[in-house]
Amino acid sequence: MKLQTKYFGEIDYEAGDVITFPVGPFSFEEEHEFLLLPFEGGAGSLLCFQSIHTPGLAFVAMDPFSLLPGYNPVLQPQELKELGVADSQELGFYVLCVVKKPVSDSTVNLKCPVAIHPETRVARQVILETDAYEMRHPLAQFGNEEGAPC
Amino acid sequence: MLILQRKAGESLLIGEDITIRVVSVDGTRVRLAIAAPEDVPILRSELVIAAAANRDSAMEESTPAELLDLLGGVLDKRDGPGAPPET
Repeated sequence: MKLQTKYFGEIDYEAGDVITFPVGPFSFEEEHEFLLLPFEGGAGSLLCFQSIHTPGLAFVAMDPFSLLPGYNPVLQPQELKELGVADSQELGFYVLCVVKKPVSDSTVNLKCPVAIHPETRVARQVILETDAYEMRHPLAQFGNEEGAPC
Repeated sequence: MLILQRKAGESLLIGEDITIRVVSVDGTRVRLAIAAPEDVPILRSELVIAAAANRDSAMEESTPAELLDLLGGVLDKRDGPGAPPET
């Protein structure tokens, strides 16, 4: 199937690629279907959630584990039940970025990841019940702290 | 701002038709039961902030490629041995 996208022009996709949100991302609750498309050069860790129904709607997303290897999202029992898993570790996670100008002001929402069931591709954005993660964590911090000792 | 102390099982009234009862207190977590008319929206406040963050996410001001420059290889560090040692 063909789809007009925000970043990649017209692309071809298959029904099996679709990620289904029974409830769309916060503030976009009516958007139920997305594709997760990688950007070139991002080593699979910089992607976007492209809406299937709204070509102009796409969220820049990242693999949170590439930013923070110790990232540990824990969902509430009700959220796990809705996604059909027993444990948060069975899910895939992506976090949404706000890309600002200048780009060094960009942030990432570590508190509200999108959790995706790897087989059913059913997804849900959650708000983690922890103070360990922020909704607007400066992305520049990750770029600058690479000198940390191993 | 009015600040009140309530114990589990106690409640308070807002106006004539909103009742908030403390169901239980467990460590740092308080369970509340709210009875209000159907047309009164009740949202966890962080949901409102999360919705605003998402709306900002949908309107990028720079290109995603510029993000890659900002992050300077952080995203593909899984594939390599990591950052070069500092001298």
